[in-house]
Amino acid sequence: MNYYEIVIVGAGAAGIAAAKSAYEAGCNSILLIDRKKEMGGILLQCAHRGFGSHLTGVEYTQKLLEQFPEKIQVLLDTTVLSISPDRTVILSGVAIGFRKVSFDQLIMATGCLEITLGSLPVAGTRPEGVYTAGQVQEMVNIYHQLPQGPVVILGSGDLGLIMAKQLVLEGIEVLAMVEKKPKCGGMARNQRCLSEYNIPLICSATVTKVLGEEYLTGVKVYNFHTEEEQVIPCKSLLVAVGLCPDQTLIYGLGTLNWIHLCGNCNVVHPMVDAVILEGQKAGITAWDKIQRGN
Amino acid sequence: MKVVDTVVIGGGVLGCFVARNLMRWKISVVLLEEKNDVCMGVTKANTAIVYAGYDNQPGSLKAEMTVHGNEVFDTLCKDLEVPFLRRGSLMVGFGPQADKVMQKKFNHGIRNNVPGLRLISGKEACEMEPHLASGVTSALYAPTTGTVNPWQLGIAAYENAIQNGCDVWLKTKVIGIQKTEYGYAVETTKEFIECRAILNCAGLSADKIQELLFPPTVRLILDGSEFLVLDRHTATPEHIIFHESEEAGKGITAVPTVEGNLLLASSKRPMDGEYFSTSSKSMDRLRSIAADILPKVDLNQVIRSFGAVRPNPHWMVEKKGKLVPDGKSIGSFVIENPAPGFYSLIGIKTPGLTCADELGKYLADRTAEYLNALPNRGFNPKRQAIRAVRKMNFETRNSLVMRDPDYGDIVCQCEDISKAEILEAIRRGATSIAGVKYRVGVGMGQCQGSRCSQIISKLLEGARHELL
Repeated sequence: MNYYEIVIVGAGAAGIAAAKSAYEAGCNSILLIDRKKEMGGILLQCAHRGFGSHLTGVEYTQKLLEQFPEKIQVLLDTTVLSISPDRTVILSGVAIGFRKVSFDQLIMATGCLEITLGSLPVAGTRPEGVYTAGQVQEMVNIYHQLPQGPVVILGSGDLGLIMAKQLVLEGIEVLAMVEKKPKCGGMARNQRCLSEYNIPLICSATVTKVLGEEYLTGVKVYNFHTEEEQVIPCKSLLVAVGLCPDQTLIYGLGTLNWIHLCGNCNVVHPMVDAVILEGQKAGITAWDKIQRGN
Repeated sequence: MKVVDTVVIGGGVLGCFVARNLMRWKISVVLLEEKNDVCMGVTKANTAIVYAGYDNQPGSLKAEMTVHGNEVFDTLCKDLEVPFLRRGSLMVGFGPQADKVMQKKFNHGIRNNVPGLRLISGKEACEMEPHLASGVTSALYAPTTGTVNPWQLGIAAYENAIQNGCDVWLKTKVIGIQKTEYGYAVETTKEFIECRAILNCAGLSADKIQELLFPPTVRLILDGSEFLVLDRHTATPEHIIFHESEEAGKGITAVPTVEGNLLLASSKRPMDGEYFSTSSKSMDRLRSIAADILPKVDLNQVIRSFGAVRPNPHWMVEKKGKLVPDGKSIGSFVIENPAPGFYSLIGIKTPGLTCADELGKYLADRTAEYLNALPNRGFNPKRQAIRAVRKMNFETRNSLVMRDPDYGDIVCQCEDISKAEILEAIRRGATSIAGVKYRVGVGMGQCQGSRCSQIISKLLEGARHELL
């Protein structure tokens, strides 16, 4: 069994920042784990600009990694299956197999989960062609596959807007963005794509029903103001209604003073800069605890 | 043209069990399924309950099969390596109407020899099941009620049938049936099949399949219902809860499944629109009743909703020179035998899952008798499940990963499912993400497949290329 002073789950922006700050503070027994084959987390599927002001997610990751201390041990292609109260984690990976690792402090940097259609009170069938926005982002930017158009996007937050713009640029028709609130949900700079590419935004409305047996054929959109319902025929539906911190690994563990949450698994942040700051703070707090012997 | 002894039409849970039981005899069989995989119809949306048998009319075939089917379910699931949990059920009522129903069901249950059945007070029910709301007036406790995953069970029977020599044609639709001197000729979208016996288990199309050759006697009228699935990290009741509403037929059902998710099912409502479509009204009703009777269950933890279709058989009667359904859903199992060697299961609904193997045996035995078939002494009732890393202890899992690194590659993070399991599911016949889900359980967690679908698609694609 291996022992590390700090184990960090997730090598996205928060995890990278946490590892680096703990190392720089003086900790030299750190294990950073990620389930993907590369470091960077969700940044890797972000082809749009806006990270550290003007970079793409991929460029931003490169910049983060340029300054990443070589001495920090990184374990990729490895999933953390569970965390137990005796301060061990169970890992499973192609290279390392199935293994138990113990630690003194644990930093959770697992990011967030997207809210899926399943958790929404949307009626209808469950055909192919319904995705979360982030899933499509990964499909397009990592797997180079496009969803079938025309597309309807439920939710007009940043991720929804970013995907609307990208799909239009890929030549896919975005028929509508459907927003529950009276106005668009995203940041101003992301909202610009609506007018630039003539993407219709239907506010005070929601998708009430999904249509189509095997494949999606359309969605029913209900307008709260007019109280009218219209069917929009489409082949893909992107659900972009929100994100929630992914704390699945610590369900049922209660509050433990050796677990430190940072980045989107703590609170969902609109900007990567805040994620980095939280990661750094978590790294330092964890190292402090070790030095003070808890 | 193909010549066989028996054609089974329909690869739902019933068709799969009919095929499996036919293999107990020296009979050659082709199982025909319209879709590209089995268990993709009515089977996929089911309450997953193995009933105790108090609902059925004493003395009926249904009552007999349910009680016996339930009794042997442990053995069946052991043979097929399918998880089965006898959670026990509480039917709960909140008023005088429900109490009356409960008394009647209790009497039926006693006459049907349902083991351990007890009519208990509301207080005792709430003590047994702390999740229940106060105000329960009486409850019927059945310790033998259990739960099984319907598609896992159907697929297990399917694999066992194949392993014993059953031939399967997927993506094959039956378009005509003719009587021949020898037996029957089945016209399919692939080729003609000559056979001596036909076992029609075509689910939603069972009435139409029979009508390809015979005059209509039974017609299926469909209704629908709603299901909600809760995240398995949420606290759930330990028992299966049947809510007997004061308004007959309007109660809901709560099932803690073998996977640990709570499954909430609405009462039935008339079909509206597409098959397997949910209705908002009925979903809202389900939520509000669930909140009333199981107040401690966190309904914000719903991760999926889906619709079910139930075929209800009605006898056809003549009205003004026309044959029309008589408007009354038939209570008993409809097993039609319009001509020698031709059997139809039409509109087998609850408790069809409980009785799947019993009905399969029943039809297989009659077919064997008709064909004068000899028993197949080589029949192997045992089927091996796909090895699931999440169910292994540390040492077993560790040594398995050492031998095959694919067992270490976790693809579905929510449910802890490895690449090796997915590849095995594909090898055993999964052709779609749903097919993989039904075999190993991927995509059933909180992210609902949004994180792993792409990887699974690639694995499916890879397997298709290998075949080419």
